[in-house]
Amino acid sequence: MTHCIRALCRVRAWLPIASLVTIAAVLAGILLAGCSNNPYPPGETARKVLYRAISDDPRTLDPSVSYTVSEGAIIDVIYPAYFRYHYLKRAPFVLELNLGAQQPVRTPCTFTEMRNGKRVVRRGELWTFRIRRGVRFQDDPCFPHGKGREVTAADIIYSFRRMADPSVPCPVRSFFQDKVVGMDEYVASNVRRMQRGQPADYHRPVQGLQLDPHDPYTFRILLNQPYPQLRYLMAMHFTTPQAHEAVEYYGAAGLARHPVGCGPFVLAEYKPRQRIVLRKNPSRYPEYYPTEGASGDREAGLLADAGRQLPLVDEVVYTYIREDITGWNLFLQGYQDSWGVTQTNYQQVMSRQGELSPEMRRRRIRMFRDVSPNIMYFAFNMRDPVFGGYTPQKRKLRQAISLAIDANAFIDLFSQGMGRPAQFLIPPGIFGYDPAYRNPYRQYNPQRAKQLLAEAGYPGGIDPKTGERLVLHYDNAATTAAGRQFVSLVQKQIEAIGIKVESRSYRDLVWQQRVDNGEFQFINYGWLADYPDPENFVFLLYGPNKRPGPNSAAYNSPEYNRLFEQMRAMDDGPQRLAIIKRMRDIAVEDCPWIFLQHDESLGLAYHWLHNIKPHPVANDSAKYLRVDPAERVRAQLAWNKPDFRPPIVLALFMLVTGVPAVRTVRRRRNRRIRVGNQEAR
Amino acid sequence: MHSFLLNAVPVVVVGLLVAAVLRARREPLWAEAFRRLRRNRVAMVALCVIGIYGLIGFMDSIGWQRDDARVTVIDWLFQRPRERTYSAPLATMTTGEPRPHKLLGRHLLGTDGVGDDVLYLTLKGVRTGLIVGGFTSLIVTPLALLFGMLAGYFGRRVDDVVQYIYTVLDSIPGILLLIALMMVLGRGLVQLCVALGVTSWVGLCRLMRGETLKHRDREYVRAARALGVGHARILARHILPNLLPVLIIQVTLGFSGLVLAEAILSYLQLGVEAGVGSWGNMIDAARMELAREPIIWWNLVSASTALFILVLAFNLFGDALRDAIDPRLRSS
Amino acid sequence: MLRYVVRRVLYAVPILLGVSIVTFVLFYATSSPEQMARRNLSAKNPTKEQIQEWLHVHGYDKPLAVQFRKHMTELFLFRFGKSDTTGESIGARMRAGMGPSLAVASLAFIAALLTDITFALVLAYFRGTYVDLWGTFQCVLLMSITALVYIMGGQFVLGKVLKYFPLAGYQSGLHAWKFVLMPAIIGVVSGFGSSVRFYRTVMLEEMNQDYVRTARAKGVSESAILFKHVLKNASIPILTSVVLSIPFLLTGSLLLESFFGIPGLGSLTVDAINGQDFAVVRAMVFLGTALYIIGAILTDISYALVDPRVRLE
Repeated sequence: MTHCIRALCRVRAWLPIASLVTIAAVLAGILLAGCSNNPYPPGETARKVLYRAISDDPRTLDPSVSYTVSEGAIIDVIYPAYFRYHYLKRAPFVLELNLGAQQPVRTPCTFTEMRNGKRVVRRGELWTFRIRRGVRFQDDPCFPHGKGREVTAADIIYSFRRMADPSVPCPVRSFFQDKVVGMDEYVASNVRRMQRGQPADYHRPVQGLQLDPHDPYTFRILLNQPYPQLRYLMAMHFTTPQAHEAVEYYGAAGLARHPVGCGPFVLAEYKPRQRIVLRKNPSRYPEYYPTEGASGDREAGLLADAGRQLPLVDEVVYTYIREDITGWNLFLQGYQDSWGVTQTNYQQVMSRQGELSPEMRRRRIRMFRDVSPNIMYFAFNMRDPVFGGYTPQKRKLRQAISLAIDANAFIDLFSQGMGRPAQFLIPPGIFGYDPAYRNPYRQYNPQRAKQLLAEAGYPGGIDPKTGERLVLHYDNAATTAAGRQFVSLVQKQIEAIGIKVESRSYRDLVWQQRVDNGEFQFINYGWLADYPDPENFVFLLYGPNKRPGPNSAAYNSPEYNRLFEQMRAMDDGPQRLAIIKRMRDIAVEDCPWIFLQHDESLGLAYHWLHNIKPHPVANDSAKYLRVDPAERVRAQLAWNKPDFRPPIVLALFMLVTGVPAVRTVRRRRNRRIRVGNQEAR
Repeated sequence: MHSFLLNAVPVVVVGLLVAAVLRARREPLWAEAFRRLRRNRVAMVALCVIGIYGLIGFMDSIGWQRDDARVTVIDWLFQRPRERTYSAPLATMTTGEPRPHKLLGRHLLGTDGVGDDVLYLTLKGVRTGLIVGGFTSLIVTPLALLFGMLAGYFGRRVDDVVQYIYTVLDSIPGILLLIALMMVLGRGLVQLCVALGVTSWVGLCRLMRGETLKHRDREYVRAARALGVGHARILARHILPNLLPVLIIQVTLGFSGLVLAEAILSYLQLGVEAGVGSWGNMIDAARMELAREPIIWWNLVSASTALFILVLAFNLFGDALRDAIDPRLRSS
Repeated sequence: MLRYVVRRVLYAVPILLGVSIVTFVLFYATSSPEQMARRNLSAKNPTKEQIQEWLHVHGYDKPLAVQFRKHMTELFLFRFGKSDTTGESIGARMRAGMGPSLAVASLAFIAALLTDITFALVLAYFRGTYVDLWGTFQCVLLMSITALVYIMGGQFVLGKVLKYFPLAGYQSGLHAWKFVLMPAIIGVVSGFGSSVRFYRTVMLEEMNQDYVRTARAKGVSESAILFKHVLKNASIPILTSVVLSIPFLLTGSLLLESFFGIPGLGSLTVDAINGQDFAVVRAMVFLGTALYIIGAILTDISYALVDPRVRLE
């Protein structure tokens, strides 16, 4: 005993002392940190802050370039547009004026243009817009004295010009290029300038983009055809007013990180791979929470904040969370306000009956359901010699394969039952969707499939010319374990009717290129709505939209094309519905696609988060949500008490088992010392 | 062509080992080492374990065509009907989906997300693990031997060149070079072995060079030079046999590192293709499964246990081998 | 001494040259820039002009020789250019990432060093007893568990069950402390087995030397022998592995950082792998190499300082 103490007192024993000190410091650190696993700066959770997560840094926050949903959630509350979607009204979706002061006026008019060297007079449509006064850009160093100036109509026209600049990779240029008068030539001249090494010309007059010389808040767009969907495009962030001072000051690359808008929030902090913080814009224009909603909203408490000025929170904090498990665990600890239901947490969240489990209800978590306007599908290459073509034989072949795919199995296994088997392209919530319609070739029936296969000339899946099984090449980008599961199920289902499926997996880039070049037989793909109009779905099978357009199957039916041109500019009504139904019947018989499912999403949120009503298209919910910080802090403290018992037990165990060893060693040494010179080891 | 090569590897390795053992029993040095090794019980147990793994890998390489798919002995013995999705070990219903379905058969270790039997997948992973270790060692050994011996024996210019090459390769941090190579070559078993080979031959080469230097100036070597014996003969008959003990020890100890590296690369999505059975792919898939409630643990536990036992066996056997061959190299 | 250092640094130049050639061949000669362009453009179907523009901005449209010259000059000037996926300056990103990497890695490094040496000393002190046997076997066991299991299990136990630390994330400044502890602890535990085994080997080798037997015969106590004589002499091989790994404190552990959301250089690399961002991976390879060479030079210098028998020439 005394030996130990003496040994400890000696300077030589600095090493074990140093390690003891380190361990003590670590423990002290834990205590100092408040014994807390709160990942946010102290005191932040007690403020009116909305917590969200991003799984990847936004690639760009430039409104002319960004096209993803996660980037949109940030951009849409910094860069408002002429219209916004009514937060509460659904089916049909309603567009409200946001920056606009009046509903646009559509007048038919004529215009002249050069075609093949001759002047031609054509009929088009003139839209007149007027924005409200008093909207200011946020304060930013790019403006003189750092103060934002007033927004004028010229800023919206500037946005259109950015779309036509070839150095700006704008994904929706094609929506405008062939419809706005003069846009085509404008883009072409910019391309020529770029090839000569000159920048695009932002001052060249374009016939379709007109500013009013007497009123700085009015602008006009001239279209060469009726296009009612322009309203929806004026609700997207591509048509937000942009300050040319910001673009010139920061450059295109800088603008991707440093947005300068006029909306309810500004980007206050951006630490890559850590967090993004949006803060209330002190110079925002007045915007108010809706005073009426859909039926049932008042009872659900969604009109409690009616008429209040937006936004209802002071800050939105996006935390960078890469792994879904981590995010789900943070949500369970109360450090995220909402989270989605995924494969990871489904069984914990839902009870057998498909409702919220008791554990979730005990924590006062609420669930909300939503249907995304999307379509997941399989596409045949209609130009393929074996599986493409429009003869009755080929149709039957595709229909047979369609009958072999059971959408319910996919939905059960990969979407936890959250999804609706698709009968046609148009999803629920969009005009043209018929909940009673049943696609005759999407009702899973392997018997019928085998019959049709035989009628198509391949009895039992054997090709009579070669005597071998018919082989379907399925090109996919399934490089992860999850993707593989999907591919396996496809193979299993199609091979059940006798056709052999050969799966070829490529890297994402390579796969995309093969699809764009038409080098495939059979792929799976998806499409998410840009705006809630059926034209945005049925145009995927429109012949002239073939590659490099979105009609990757290269489907071309003259009758379908004709009907499409008829309905594209129509207003919603019984006539449009009738045309859509005829188009549907044509596409279903030809079977270029196997429609798989429309996704549903389930979300969870705590009771301290109010005003949740997911909008399938709009992305600006951050300004309507409200939090109750006191409740949140109370819950976080209750759920996150650290447990100190295990390490104490472990330390005691190690001490106890070490005692006999110490005794053995000391005995051995004492024996050695006593033996002395006669010691032989 | 690829699959023929890969299937030949375990057969070749086993053959080499057996031949080496039979041949070496006659040499007095090796006989002494074997005697010492036989006395070490832990080492014998480890050797048996390695033998079992080798047998499984061997069985998985012998196969025949059936209905345009290649079926191996392991497939024939252990393949079970494929279920819809996950199921717990020895359960009767599936788990992890909204409405559990009845299982088609019994699964000793449960099934994974695609419905494949986990025991079957683990056994398929043995072959991948052994190929990663064995094929890579087959690539590394001749390279390292050749360059090491040349550098150590001839010295001066040759030595400088070889040192430059391997200093350049060695300066790139191993994991980064591996990542870079895999990004460029793409995923795949052969590509993985090539990449691992390129990154690990340097250490062995340095060792071989050091050993060659030690033996180059021995009296009998100098005598042989004086007698006019050619360089090749000296290298083959006098120097190479002296390098073998160290070589064998290093390869055995390095084997486990290679197998572990495959697991990590598969986690980074850079290892073997997603379809090939491998423990790394199973662990990668398990990342998502751990957070589910109830926890799906059988996939991860199976793969990591199988990996752990193999690595442990190699570590223990390698240690014992080192003690047996040269007590002076002993570390404990 | 100074001459030696200068000579070593000069010798490092051809090595760096060799490394840059290797990386160039790896990256430029084997991938199609057009594929990279498609990936990085957010349009659903990029047009030819958009692809050309992207290639032009990132410099992939010039002939191979020009690209090679640009590649070499930029690397040697430590100007790493722009990331392929995000278009931002790689140098800035790396500078931002160094802090967090250093925080986690240096804490793990110091804690590991102290813990490992202590436990190795303990095992050496108790050699021959069941503590030693049991301890060595534990080390081999711990060595055989893959790092992935440590990370997944550690986050589960420490973060979720015991609730000591935030699960993941990072904050700069003083608050980094609580985010850095869990990855550091797991880093120490995962490296424990192999390090303790190695240090114990080295120490026991020392303990079998003649001078120790002499000291023991003279009556010096066991603990004095351990701490004064054995530790000092065993520190040379220990120093090799330790000093060599100091520069890697900057590059950070890939797995630890990506799992725990520490925005350091390691997770930068993992993101680059996932995003097929060759520019960043090239830069990291070059940085890693430069650091390795610095580490090797430092090792040799420390040898000379610690061991009087070694003379630098």
